[in-house]
Amino acid sequence: MRFLALLFAAAISLGVSGAQAQPTDLKAVLEVHAEQIERPKRLQVGEVVNDLIALGTPEVTEFLQRWQNRELHMREADGQFFYVGEGTPIELIDVVSGQVVGTAQDSELKQLRPNAGVRRVLGSALVQFQLSDPNILRRVAAVDSIARRPQADQLAPLLASIPDEPDAALKERKERLAGLLTARFDETTDARVAAIEALSGELSLDVQAVMNQILATRDQVAVALPEDENIAEIYEVGADLGTVEAYAQLVSAELAPAVIPNDAIRNALAANIDGGFVGGVPVAQLNTDAARATAYTALAEAGTVPPLVTDADISSAVQSHVFYAIYTEPDVAVTDAANDALNEITTRVGMNQALDLTLDGLSLASIYFLAAIGLAITFGVMGVINMAHGEFIMMGAYTGYVVQLFIPDYTLSILVALPLAFAITFGAGVAMERLVIRWLYHRPLETLLATFGISIALQQLAKNIFGTQARPLTSPGWLDGAWVMNDVVSISYIRIAIFILALIFLGLLLFILNKTRLGLEVRAVTQNPGMAASMGINPDRINMLTFGLGSGIAGIAGVAIGLYAKVTSEMGADYIVQSFMTVVVGGVGNVWGTLAGASLIGFLQKGIEWFNPANTLAAQTYMILFIILFIQFRPKGIVALKGRAAGD
Amino acid sequence: MERSFIMRNPSVLWFLLALAVFTLGVTILSEAFGIGGLSTSFIKTLGKTLCLCLIAVAMDVVWGYCGILSLGHFAFFGLGGYAIGMWLMYARTEEIVVNSLNEAAIPPTQQEIIDGIGTQIFGVVGSSEFPLIWAFSHSLGLQLLMVVLVPGLLALVFGWLAFRSRVTGVYLSILTQAMTLALALYLFQNDSGLRGNNGLSGLQNIPGLDHLGQATISMWFFWASAIALGAGYVLFAWVTSGKMGSVIRGIRDDESRVRFLGYHVESYKLFVFTLTAVVAGIAGALYYPQAGIINPAEIAPIASIYLAVWVAIGGRGRLYGAVIGAAFVSLLSSWFTGGGAPSIPLGFYTIQWTDWWLVLLGVSFVAVTLFFPKGIGGLFDYLVRKDP
Repeated sequence: MRFLALLFAAAISLGVSGAQAQPTDLKAVLEVHAEQIERPKRLQVGEVVNDLIALGTPEVTEFLQRWQNRELHMREADGQFFYVGEGTPIELIDVVSGQVVGTAQDSELKQLRPNAGVRRVLGSALVQFQLSDPNILRRVAAVDSIARRPQADQLAPLLASIPDEPDAALKERKERLAGLLTARFDETTDARVAAIEALSGELSLDVQAVMNQILATRDQVAVALPEDENIAEIYEVGADLGTVEAYAQLVSAELAPAVIPNDAIRNALAANIDGGFVGGVPVAQLNTDAARATAYTALAEAGTVPPLVTDADISSAVQSHVFYAIYTEPDVAVTDAANDALNEITTRVGMNQALDLTLDGLSLASIYFLAAIGLAITFGVMGVINMAHGEFIMMGAYTGYVVQLFIPDYTLSILVALPLAFAITFGAGVAMERLVIRWLYHRPLETLLATFGISIALQQLAKNIFGTQARPLTSPGWLDGAWVMNDVVSISYIRIAIFILALIFLGLLLFILNKTRLGLEVRAVTQNPGMAASMGINPDRINMLTFGLGSGIAGIAGVAIGLYAKVTSEMGADYIVQSFMTVVVGGVGNVWGTLAGASLIGFLQKGIEWFNPANTLAAQTYMILFIILFIQFRPKGIVALKGRAAGD
Repeated sequence: MERSFIMRNPSVLWFLLALAVFTLGVTILSEAFGIGGLSTSFIKTLGKTLCLCLIAVAMDVVWGYCGILSLGHFAFFGLGGYAIGMWLMYARTEEIVVNSLNEAAIPPTQQEIIDGIGTQIFGVVGSSEFPLIWAFSHSLGLQLLMVVLVPGLLALVFGWLAFRSRVTGVYLSILTQAMTLALALYLFQNDSGLRGNNGLSGLQNIPGLDHLGQATISMWFFWASAIALGAGYVLFAWVTSGKMGSVIRGIRDDESRVRFLGYHVESYKLFVFTLTAVVAGIAGALYYPQAGIINPAEIAPIASIYLAVWVAIGGRGRLYGAVIGAAFVSLLSSWFTGGGAPSIPLGFYTIQWTDWWLVLLGVSFVAVTLFFPKGIGGLFDYLVRKDP
């Protein structure tokens, strides 16, 4: 059976070689280098690749790619190379024509597996083919691959491919990439300096990375400063570099013996206990460093252990050397140009970061404004602190979640959820005012506690109904993504939407308070409830409506916050303290005050976070401390009511 | 003088008597010194409850008598706990480290011992260095001083700043809440020097007293808590009676009038605020060795609000009301949340009290505020038939 199969295979192979009587150029090259292709070595494969490149035919690209991807197979019988197709027996595909030219058993073929070094050589050879490939996707992929792993030998093919690039956008990318590569790898100083100067106007991350790579340094130590090195910095021991680190550098440069650590001393002593004594010192006395040093020195003098490195040794060794950093790039002109460019880039990045920070602060401020404005209104009009305000925010967010369960279209569901959340929390606020708060108007501290009772009950209720895990409130597709100005400045569309929502509510509230009958009455009650009542205003009704309005805005804020944060039963508690802060800092009973408070707190929080980005907890701590101090100087907030209305 | 003080405050005698009877009863029922009817863990719960009663009394003085709704007293409680916890943890770790190092061939140096302790304590936050705030942790005496000084100084500085700028009412409440939140957030950081989120643990092991066993140690702490509660009660009864008590209550009722009468209102408020903070610190120092662990979550603002809830339910403006409120609500709370309360089947839904206890607490709290502003303590008025 096996014999028959062999016979069959031999017949096919004969037929194949017969069919291709006139070998193409590729075939010829393959035949010449058959051994190198079968077992390629990284150092010698270049020769094969050069010959292949010299052919310059389209099938060479295909061949190099397949070879690199370990898809090239060799028939053991005659050393011919094929690509393989599907099926059993396996289809053999000719490397030149791309046609199926026969079949073979698995055992007759040898898959060629070039090692990583060879594949890298193949890859860079491929790049120049791909850079001028007729298919634009291939060209883009090649540019991407260079951008990921830039190498010196890619520069020439990249430059060569630019003039013939038909696609304008890709041409621009190629030119930019060529600039980056020139800055790093070009052979002439002038070309590199020119490229670096051209890049100094950009602020993207890859340009910064290139500059940092050019400016990479290596710490060195020597007896005297060398003349021929490109020195980046000379360290002053004690100021730039600690003595311990400096000595460690000496040790790693093998210019000084290593310090013997305390552990090693102890182990050495323990290993040399001799009848209750170590080096003439009783073991029981070895509980101070001085006694241990004495014992160890005695051992060292006896030659059993390496000598101790004393502090005096360390400082004299450190003082007799210079410590400096050199650029790995030897060319001074290039590093100087790169330093200048990096400084310019850093300045521009700094300015853009300031802009980004401003946007972040603005976005946070608008969230705090939405969360706090309802609280500020109720506090201002009624002198009542509503601890359950955070839970109204939570109710609004859960309303949005429930609406999305019934209306799968996200845009529509948000449009439904906003007024519904307002209606539900308005109702809840009015109910709370009627049932609880109006009985406690003369006892403001107890309102605080009663509303706190409502707050924990509502929170636990939400937990019982919706569970403890976070619920999603998905934003519509057109709010996904971010508005990216450049590599530094970007802001997500949701935050822009929240900012716009906050602006709308600012305008709406100003209109209601200043231009409507209700607003007039609300302002009257805020200023003097007794007088307002004697003018025919019903303070009870005003209180109820104000409380409902404040709660309703909290519900809308809940939908907005739920869009970018998780909806949980505790989400209200996360915002309540910040909302209080906003109200207290801004001043009570005034929309502008709340706006000022929200801006101050939002910008402050982002600013502190910027100084200490790793530690948001610390940022919040410092912010609260700042607010406590701020209250010292403006106890009534930024915008304080004047005159008798300020009251107490 | 002493006689007239007792005469004016008959409730002090009654309270001390009740506390003594209770302590005696628990002692008789304890495992270590009596017939063993109460488990060690229950003794610890009772001891902790006494500490909570003590801080509730302090809260009652500052809120019910002086009208300052502080939402920060549990922070002082926690600071006291941290102060004693630092010594407990240091001394306990020192014992372990010295024991293990003494087994080595070479006796340890002082530095090796300290490094060993540092690695043991701060390993969880990836450090081994002692932060500056642990400078006194080796000494019980100094750390006991810290129990009093740290909450006292914080209250003094904070109170001075707040009262000086006439921050009152809800503003002050929010400011104290902000202080608590800032402190809790600070302690949550790993580099705060107090082991961040992990807090201090193993506090129930008292260094040098391991041979006594937890049953005995729990009774010692129970007695200490009872004595502290008794002493604190007498102290606050004395503070709130007499001329000073009148001024303090006057401040609660109308601060401006008291000021116009020539009293320096800020000093009185600062005195009350600081004194109660110190007592809160002492209560915390007694509480946490019984609890065994303290972490920043303990001093989150919600804890201080619960404290206000206990006092309100127990009855403000009377010291025994605070004790009743704290004991009643905290024991009831652990009964409900611990699964002790039977579930109520409603046919279509079964009320699990672990889920619904907070709803009940919240609603009953609103009800107490609305309908029984005098709290549980108000019931005594009906019994004694005395004018409120």
